[in-house]
Amino acid sequence: MRKLLTTIAGCMILFLLPCSLLAQDRAVTGRITDAKGAPIQGVSVVVRQTNTGTSTDADGKFRLNVPANGILVISSTGYKSQSLKPDAGAADIQIKMEDDIARLDEVVVTGLTTNVKRRNLANSVATISSKQLDGVAPAQTFDQALNGKIPGAYINSNTGAPGGGLSVKLRGVTSIYGNTQPLYVVDGVFMDNTATSAGLNAVTSAAAGGNASTQDNPSSRIADLRAEDIENIEILKGASAAAIYGSKAAAGVIIITTKRGRQGKTKVSFSQDLGVTTVRRLLGTRPLNEENVQAQGWDVNEYKAAVAAGKVYDYEKEMYGEQGFATNSILRITGGSDKTSFYFSAGHKDEQGIIKRTGYKNNSLRLNLDHRISDNVKIGFSTNFINSSADRGLTGNDNAGVTYGIALSSTPGFTELHPDAAGDYPRNKYAASNPIETRDKMKNNESVNRFIVGLNLDAILFKGSKSTTRFIGRGGIDFYNLYTDAQFPSSLQFQTVNKGTTIQGSTRNLNTNYILSLVNNFNVSEKLTFTTSAGITQETVDYNNLLNVATQVISGQSNVDQAGALTAQQFRQKVQDNGIFIQEEATLSDALTLTAGVRFDRSTNNGDPDKYYTYPKAGVSWNLTRAGILGNNIFENFKVRAAYGQAGNFPAYGSKFTSMAVSNITGLPGSVVNTQKGEPDIKPETQTEFETGFDFTVFKGRLSMEFTYYNKNIFDFLLQNTLPSSSGYTTQWVNAGDLRNQGIEIGLTAQPIVTRNIKWTTSVGFWLNRSKVTKLTIPPVVLGSFGVALGTFQIEQGKSATQIIGLTDEAGYPTHIRIWGDQEPRFQMNSFNEITFKNNLSLRFLIHWKNGGENVNLTNLLNDLGGTSADFDEDKNGNKVPDGVDRIQKIGSTAVEFVQNSSYLRFREIGLYYSFNRLPVNFVKGLRLGVSLHNYITITPYQGYDPEVSNFGTGFSTGIDVDPFPASKQAAFHLNVDF
Amino acid sequence: MKIVMKKYLILFAASSLIATACKKDYGNLNNPTEEVFLANATRDQLNNLVSGTESTLRNNLGLYLDDIGVVGREMYRFSGADPRYVTDLLGGGESTLSNTGFYITNVWSSRYRVVKNCNLLEEAAGNSTYINDAEKKGYEGFAKTIKAYQLLLTLNLTYTNGVRIDVVNAEQLGPIVEYDQALAEIASLLDEGKTDLSGAEVVFPLSAGFAAFSDAPGLAKFNRALAARVAVYRKQWDAALTDLDESFLVLNGAFDLGVYDVFGTGSGDQLNPAFFPQNQAGEVRLAHPSYATDIDANDDRINKATLRNAPATSSGLTSDRDVWVYTSSTAQVPLIRNEELILIYAEAKIQTNALTEGRDALNTIRTRHGLANYGGALTQGALIDEMLKQRRFSLFFEGHRWLDLRRYDRLNTLPIDRPDDDIWDKFPLPNTEQ
Repeated sequence: MRKLLTTIAGCMILFLLPCSLLAQDRAVTGRITDAKGAPIQGVSVVVRQTNTGTSTDADGKFRLNVPANGILVISSTGYKSQSLKPDAGAADIQIKMEDDIARLDEVVVTGLTTNVKRRNLANSVATISSKQLDGVAPAQTFDQALNGKIPGAYINSNTGAPGGGLSVKLRGVTSIYGNTQPLYVVDGVFMDNTATSAGLNAVTSAAAGGNASTQDNPSSRIADLRAEDIENIEILKGASAAAIYGSKAAAGVIIITTKRGRQGKTKVSFSQDLGVTTVRRLLGTRPLNEENVQAQGWDVNEYKAAVAAGKVYDYEKEMYGEQGFATNSILRITGGSDKTSFYFSAGHKDEQGIIKRTGYKNNSLRLNLDHRISDNVKIGFSTNFINSSADRGLTGNDNAGVTYGIALSSTPGFTELHPDAAGDYPRNKYAASNPIETRDKMKNNESVNRFIVGLNLDAILFKGSKSTTRFIGRGGIDFYNLYTDAQFPSSLQFQTVNKGTTIQGSTRNLNTNYILSLVNNFNVSEKLTFTTSAGITQETVDYNNLLNVATQVISGQSNVDQAGALTAQQFRQKVQDNGIFIQEEATLSDALTLTAGVRFDRSTNNGDPDKYYTYPKAGVSWNLTRAGILGNNIFENFKVRAAYGQAGNFPAYGSKFTSMAVSNITGLPGSVVNTQKGEPDIKPETQTEFETGFDFTVFKGRLSMEFTYYNKNIFDFLLQNTLPSSSGYTTQWVNAGDLRNQGIEIGLTAQPIVTRNIKWTTSVGFWLNRSKVTKLTIPPVVLGSFGVALGTFQIEQGKSATQIIGLTDEAGYPTHIRIWGDQEPRFQMNSFNEITFKNNLSLRFLIHWKNGGENVNLTNLLNDLGGTSADFDEDKNGNKVPDGVDRIQKIGSTAVEFVQNSSYLRFREIGLYYSFNRLPVNFVKGLRLGVSLHNYITITPYQGYDPEVSNFGTGFSTGIDVDPFPASKQAAFHLNVDF
Repeated sequence: MKIVMKKYLILFAASSLIATACKKDYGNLNNPTEEVFLANATRDQLNNLVSGTESTLRNNLGLYLDDIGVVGREMYRFSGADPRYVTDLLGGGESTLSNTGFYITNVWSSRYRVVKNCNLLEEAAGNSTYINDAEKKGYEGFAKTIKAYQLLLTLNLTYTNGVRIDVVNAEQLGPIVEYDQALAEIASLLDEGKTDLSGAEVVFPLSAGFAAFSDAPGLAKFNRALAARVAVYRKQWDAALTDLDESFLVLNGAFDLGVYDVFGTGSGDQLNPAFFPQNQAGEVRLAHPSYATDIDANDDRINKATLRNAPATSSGLTSDRDVWVYTSSTAQVPLIRNEELILIYAEAKIQTNALTEGRDALNTIRTRHGLANYGGALTQGALIDEMLKQRRFSLFFEGHRWLDLRRYDRLNTLPIDRPDDDIWDKFPLPNTEQ
């Protein structure tokens, strides 16, 4: 950190060096409107090649000092950019902006510190605007808000638990045991997205059975971010676009830009959302009668008595059927002078879950500050404090019968689980725990205090008539304290051995990163420009997790010292990565753009921490209409493009060591070999991606299309090889083989209807991905589930990386194993629509269709085994044996029942908003009312709670369904007032 | 342009220097590595390996006992979370034992993890300059004895599928050795351990589980007790008697004299995985109904299978008795104890036609469990029946009955509770070993 400061200070001195530019400035004022003449607020007006600029106020007006020969560049998202040289005499300029449906003039970040207009972009870069992210039916957390909005992504919600937890895979699975999740960069700060387990395994023993990974399903830390603060998101989906991020970019990069202040009158706005969250679907319970109660071996007398007393309950509904009340308030203030501008927001969110005593809270403060020190130097700060808290209940897999779902799976509705008059909960005869008691007494809370600070410095070091050199420094810190608190009082049914368990985890994480770069723009002529950038980067991670598990807890106490037994675990991780990059972009006639760059990276996680790995990239885009090859008659714009790049994925921390675990016995400290063998020569995975495509716009910009094909090869992918465990080890990290992802993405944006009163804008995306393991140097590896009997993933040469295999009893399979499915969807589609009536009423909706792809559904299996499935006694195949029994009989001979199609068509978001333009009171400038539905309508053949599920959280293995926290849906009312 | 380029090259060079100047390697922040122990281990470090070895003996011990108990129809194990205790292990429906099933892979890898630690201990002791030869022999004798014991447990499960004996080099593992040869190699490993322990000095602490056997002569007695068990498995009856002579067998001694796995609530320690409270639901261990029907009246060993408040049922299996052998979360689990040695003595005597001595030993067991003296025929066959019966009740849920019936080719006498159930005679080798 100190090094960072000295480096920055060193560079600051450089700002004093450049010659100050003396020029005759004059004030220019103007007004900017849309095609219909309505003023546009927030249009950026900048003098080309300078840091001098402003933006328009609510009336579309601006005022700016412009040097004698200055050229104004006028741009705003959604409109075509213009540049003009103000006439010497003209004092007040009138400018009309044209709609830019294809967003050709949108500026997209292509280098670490450079950017290019979409019309010249060599890659397909998806962007999500603030309106799409948050303006339809707001999601609970930031990561949930991304779902269904990124063409080329497979986003899956792991759990319905408050606080979220999502898996985002861009263009297929890019790693198997390595990191599969994209890098999140917020205003230049690399955000940590670690999912830290709360240590619930001490109670659930989930890892003790068929799969040794913890199955706590913690939330992803990116969830802390407030969607309301976000202006724009860009998604670099693979190495060809993201190579300049080097060894962190293999899974893609999500670049998030938050809202910033604008010159003009201070604007205060307040939004309030009120919503109700309910369960999306319940599975139902088995209709009981004396006969099937008897057959199940349950207590018939108890059943008869319960029926007589009218005390047969639907525990599933009681558990998951709560209506959660949700409230979200956010206050935003923006404003600024010509030198300084700010954006401030304060938000408070409190959402209850569909299970009693669960919920999510988020308090956030953000201050983004921009200041122009001189005409040549500007500096920006982003600060964000977040306090979030999630009560997540106890769900998912376990081997102790304690989670709600597992306990309910064998508990019939006629047994009494409710407390008696004295408040004592009866022991559940049918499971290891009384889920109602567990729900009412336990606690599983994650709370975070997080502070993110970003700094952005942009200084023009030298400015000539043709060449401008800037220094751009970006960096920041992301610091958080995560506290996990799980309490299981001794009176719980399953605490008879441990007599009370309290698990307290404390995690401290500090990420720092900086990019120092020099950027040179060289305009050889009007037609030929070069942009050269080069610089250095550093990223560090310092993670320290301390987990205390106390048992024999003194009644009523929660502190870990108030206990008879205490076990502590600590995990630390320190990483430092360094990079050097250089990139050159050349544009000829605004039509042909060539980009080439290279990044060198090293990491302390590699077997050799001093070795630099090289990640090159190159791209070309050729705008045929601008080049004059295609006439302007049909195509307003036609571009062909191709790009190639390499990126890496560092090995997991500690994979190079064979370490010794601690294993004590009655006070004697013991060391025992770890089950993971170290690989001293471990090296990063490398990815090469080639992407090509074409974009065109027709009908005067009202219809645009984008077509992209990509081929992504991952070499030396990291795999946890299963060793013969007679060696004493069970696993070892190895660079085991190669993997390929190929896919296409098609995007269409159109304005089918534009009349005086109605405007309909629609975008449709279609994408698919196919993966294949092209090389595997070790035997096929089964992973990510519970073995072949129930359906599992298997990494196997020549097969899809995400295939799901399992036992079969069909003829023709000598090994009795076949492929039953694939996690990868056949294709996905989405459609975002906005229909505006008379500029006041706006209907927006987002549809997401995932076609194909399978899950391993063990929730229904557990219900069968417990005799509680709703359809247990049906006999669909007419063999006179209840279907529940039929399905149980198949365990061990075929996995056909468990691998299930998880296609869905989901109306993710529907929102209807009305804006009042004329208001009776002066101090209220604007008022917007709205109603929205989130995840309300889902059409799916899937038989579990929800097709989106993942027992193993974020990573390679999604779609394994073991009694999850059921998914929910939300209806909400929105109010927004501008002052 | 020239000036720009120059400036920029200088800056770039300078910044590259900054970047490369801070070379870093953080090492392992969380735990020691194997190399540290192999370099030149101190006595404390060697003792850490001993304790780690002793501690890890307990990993998946409950599952090992469940495996043998369920397959050998001593008990049922119901689990709300895992159906395979009542499907695979009992051969319910069409299910069979899978080579990826947790019931074999977890036990197998836990036992070999101890073996690995023993090998590491031997190598580390060999490399250490901090200990003398007698002390070195102490570490080696302990390591070999424990290693042989762990290999025996593994072989008990995989039987004629064999085990791997030579696993010193993880990169080049020895072959899978078939049952008889594996037993022979385990026996000679125990012999080597005994040789090491004679004249050795034990300078490492052991837990209270080794109570009276924590010095070199004590460990040698423990070693011979295990050798006697291996000898009867090999039907080497005379050798068994010789081994018993050198073991801690006391014919009239306390049944529970022996070596145990102990449990504790301290940091990094473990609780007894084979303990469940009585009258639990969901996760339960139940005595097989035949335990209560086959036991003689007045036999106090009925207390190992206590009556429940209500019977428990799952997948067509019902029992009204809990397994109640380990009665607290810190109850100890025997590695080997005197009651088994008495029964080994009886078996060896009966097999060598010393029938009266054999019967007397069985009477010791009977009378001290509240039964009258044996009144049956004094023939070898009848006494073997009686010996197996006493072993069944004396060593209930200690991991024996299935092995005993297999040794005497009587697995077909086990009860089959559901029409499609199977009685397995061995577990498959884990798929990673094939």
